[in-house]
Amino acid sequence: MASGGAGGGSKSYSFKVVLLGEGCVGKTSLVLRYCENKFNDKHITTLQASFLTKKLNIGGKRVNLAIWDTAGQERFHALGPIYYRDSNGAILVYDITDEDSFQKVKNWVKELRKMLGNEICLCIVGNKIDLDKERHVAIQEAEGYAESVGAKHYHTSAKLNKGIEELFLDLCKRMIETAQADERAKGNGSNQAGTARRGVQIVDDEPQNAAAAGGGCCSSG
Amino acid sequence: MVGSAMAAPLQNAMKLANVAIQLDTQNRHKDAYCEYLKSINYISQALLDEAVTQDGTEIVTADAQKMLKLAEQCLERAKSTATKLGKLEEKPAALEQHRPTCKPGHRRVLSDGGQATSPFLPPEIFEKMQIADTQNTKKELTPMEEASRLNQKLKATYEARLARLNPSQAMQKTSLTLSLQRQMMENLIIAKARQDALQRKVEERRLRLQEEANRRFSSSACLTSEEQEQRIFYTSILEYDQDHDWPRNWKSKLKKNPDDLSLVVGLLSCILSCPEHPVMKLLKKLQYRIYNKLYSIVSRANCSHNLVQKSPAHVASIGKQHSMKASHSIHCMQSLQENNQMNNEKMKHSVSVTSLPLIEDYNANTDSRVQQQTQHMNNQETSTLSAVDKDGSFEDLEQFLPQFQGQPESLPNLSSQIPGEFLVLSLENDNLPQQLKDIVKDIHNSIDRLLSLCILSFETLNNAAAKDQCLAILEEAFFTPIWTLLLALFRKVYINRELAFERSMALYKNMKPCDIGVKSKLFPSESSPPSGCYPYEAAVIELKQISKFCCPQKKLECIVKALRLICECAEEYRNSNEPSTSHTSAAIGADDLLPILSYVALKSNFPQLVSECAALEEFIHEGYLIGEEGYCLTSMQSAIAFVESLHKGGAPK
Repeated sequence: MASGGAGGGSKSYSFKVVLLGEGCVGKTSLVLRYCENKFNDKHITTLQASFLTKKLNIGGKRVNLAIWDTAGQERFHALGPIYYRDSNGAILVYDITDEDSFQKVKNWVKELRKMLGNEICLCIVGNKIDLDKERHVAIQEAEGYAESVGAKHYHTSAKLNKGIEELFLDLCKRMIETAQADERAKGNGSNQAGTARRGVQIVDDEPQNAAAAGGGCCSSG
Repeated sequence: MVGSAMAAPLQNAMKLANVAIQLDTQNRHKDAYCEYLKSINYISQALLDEAVTQDGTEIVTADAQKMLKLAEQCLERAKSTATKLGKLEEKPAALEQHRPTCKPGHRRVLSDGGQATSPFLPPEIFEKMQIADTQNTKKELTPMEEASRLNQKLKATYEARLARLNPSQAMQKTSLTLSLQRQMMENLIIAKARQDALQRKVEERRLRLQEEANRRFSSSACLTSEEQEQRIFYTSILEYDQDHDWPRNWKSKLKKNPDDLSLVVGLLSCILSCPEHPVMKLLKKLQYRIYNKLYSIVSRANCSHNLVQKSPAHVASIGKQHSMKASHSIHCMQSLQENNQMNNEKMKHSVSVTSLPLIEDYNANTDSRVQQQTQHMNNQETSTLSAVDKDGSFEDLEQFLPQFQGQPESLPNLSSQIPGEFLVLSLENDNLPQQLKDIVKDIHNSIDRLLSLCILSFETLNNAAAKDQCLAILEEAFFTPIWTLLLALFRKVYINRELAFERSMALYKNMKPCDIGVKSKLFPSESSPPSGCYPYEAAVIELKQISKFCCPQKKLECIVKALRLICECAEEYRNSNEPSTSHTSAAIGADDLLPILSYVALKSNFPQLVSECAALEEFIHEGYLIGEEGYCLTSMQSAIAFVESLHKGGAPK
C-alpha cells in the first residue's frame, strides 16, 4: 500500500485515515489538536478541520497522513463507502459519556470490515476522558469489544490534549507494518511499481490497493 | 531625404508583421490576428501622416509602395487567420447549441428538413478540424514541388517576354517556347532524380533506425503487440529527431535542469504545437477514434436526450412516451435516419416515410394523438399505454422507466416492418453504461499510451514530478475537444439521477440553510444579508463554473475552490455571529461541511453537476484520490446523493 517516494534511499508512505464518529463526540477537536499542536497552527488547511494533512518521520521513514473527516449525521451515510475506500486506517471516536455513540462505532466497525477486510487498521477511541465522572461506557466493555474485532482501543481528551499524539503515532506504526507486510506479500515487485501507472493498476481484483500505490509520487498537485 | 524618413516606418511595420507571422506559426491565431491588424493600422497611420505633410508628387515613394504591399499581405493573412479563428470557435459553439437544439420543435425540423440533428460535429468534420490545425505550420517543399514552382516562374517570365515581342518576330517566339520547354523538362528531370535519391536515403535511414529500435527492445524474445507498437513509435521518434533540431535542444536543456518543471511545461507546449511530432500524431489519432465512437453512441442514444433538460412537466410528457415501447422505436428510427443522411444509404426513403407520422406524434400530449400512435401497436401494448396515459403521474413513470430500459427483449412489434440493423441499434442502446465503461477504459488507455510515448521521446521526463506535469498537459489537450460529447454520454447514463436531483431542486429551491441542517451560527441571520443575495452564494457561483472547463483537472479545481469558499464563508458568518469564539475551537469539520455543501448544491440549480462529478470520478488521478481534491470530490458526491434523495422522502433534516 505504500509507494516509493521521490527521495533516494529512505522510504516514504502516504496513508489515508478516515475519521468516523457521531456528531458530538469531538472528533473535529481531536484531529485539530493533533494537527495544530506543535510549533504553529499553519497545519490547518483551507478546508479547515474537514481535511487535514500531516507529515511525520517515524524511524527514518517519512509518512504523509491525509486525515478525512466524515459527517456523523445518518443522512449522509448512504455514500459512506466512497469516503473510506482506499483507507489505510480508521479512527472511530465515541464519547465515553454517551452509550449511544459507542453503539454507532460498532456499526461502523462492521461496515469497515465488510468493505475493506483486514487490511485496514482500526482504532476505537473513547474521547472526553476529562468527563470520567459521567462515564457511561465501561472501560472493560470497550476494550474487550475492540480486541474482539481486531481493533486497538485508546482513551483521549481533546480538551486536555491527552492521548492524542500516542494514538496517531501508534496508528502510523501499525499502518507501516501492514504496508511492509503487503510489500513482502507482493514479492519485492519493485520493478513493476516504478513503471506501472494508473491504467494498469485499476484492476478489479484489488481496488483498495490501487490508489495508495500511486499516491506518494503525485502529491505535487 | 524622403526615403530615409520612410525607412524607419517601413522597418517598424515589417517588425510588427514579423511578430504576427511568428504568432501565426505558433498557432496562436487570435494573437496573430490582432498583430496583423495592428500592423495594418500602423502602416496606414504612417502613410497618412506622410501624405498629409508631403506634396502630391512625393507621396508615393518606393518605400510607401512597399508598405502598401505589406499592408495588403497583412490583410490577406488576417483574413485567413480570421477563418481559422472562426473554425476554432465552432467547438464552444457546439456547447452553446446544446440546449436550444433540444427544444420540442427540433425533432420536427429534423424530420422535414433533413438537417444535421446532433449538436455535435460529426466525426468527419472533427477530423478535418484536426487536420486544419495541422496544416497551419509551414511544410518543407519536396524537390518536385520546388521544381514545379520554378517552372511556374519560368512560364511567367516567358509569357511576359512573349507579350513584349512584335507579331513579326515569330522566329524568336518559337525559340523562346522551345527553350522554355527544354528548361522546364530539365528542371523536372533533375527534381525527379533528387527526389528518388532522397527517398532512398530516407528508406535507408528508416531501416537503420528500425534496427536501432530493435536493439533497444530486443531484451524480450517474443514481442507483445504493445512492445511492437513501442518499437514502431520509437523508430518514428528517432526519425523525427533527426529531421528536427528542437528535440535535441530541449533534451540538453532538460538534462541541465532536470528538476525544473517549467521546462517540462515548455517542452510539452512545444510538442503540442508540432503536429508532425509522433506524440501529436498519436494524440490526434486516438482522439479521433474516441470521438468517433462517442459520436456514434451518442447519436444512436439520442432518444433519452430530451429527458435531461426539461422542466418536470415536460419530462413527464416525454418520459411517458419514452416508457412506451413504441416510442422507443421512434427514437431509434430517427437516429437511423441520421445515419442515413450521413451515409446516403438507400433505406432513407422507407424509414422516413414510416417515421414521419410517428415523429409528428412525438411531442403530442393529448390522448387523441397518442391514440393515433396505437394503430401501430398490438392490443397488449395498447392496454399498457392507456394505463400509463390515464394515470399520467410522474411516480408511475419512474416505475415504468427502468422496467422498459432494462428489458431489451420487450422490443416493439414494429420490428417486423423495419430492417434488422435497427434491432441491433436498439439493443445496443439498452447497454449504455457498459458502452460508457468501455469508452472510459479507452480514454485511460489512450492517455497512458501518449504518456509513455512522451517519455520514450524524452527520457528525462521519466520521474514522478515530470510525469505528473506531462500527464496534466496531455490530458488537457486530449480532453478539451471531446469533453462535451463525453459529458453527453455521461448524462445519458446518469439521466435518472439527474432527474432526481432536479426534482429535489424544484421542491426545495427556497430552502434556508437551517432547513437542511446547517447550524444557525454558520449562516447570517435573516435581517443581515442584502436582498437578492443568499448565503454561500460565492461558493455556488464557483461551483457552476465547472461547466466552463473541458478537462477533468480544471473541473476538479473548481470543486476544491468551491469547498474552500464554503469554509471561508462559514468562518466569516461564524465570526459575525459569535465574535468571541477562538479561531480553532470551532473550525469547520465534515459535520458542518456536508450540510452546507448540500445547500450549495441545491442552490446551484444545475442537475448536470451529477454527471460532471460522475465523470470526474472516472478521470481523477490516482494520486489525487487521497488528497484534498479527492476529499472535495467525495464530499461533493455525498452531498449530491443526499440532494437526490431529498425528494423521495420526508424531512430533509
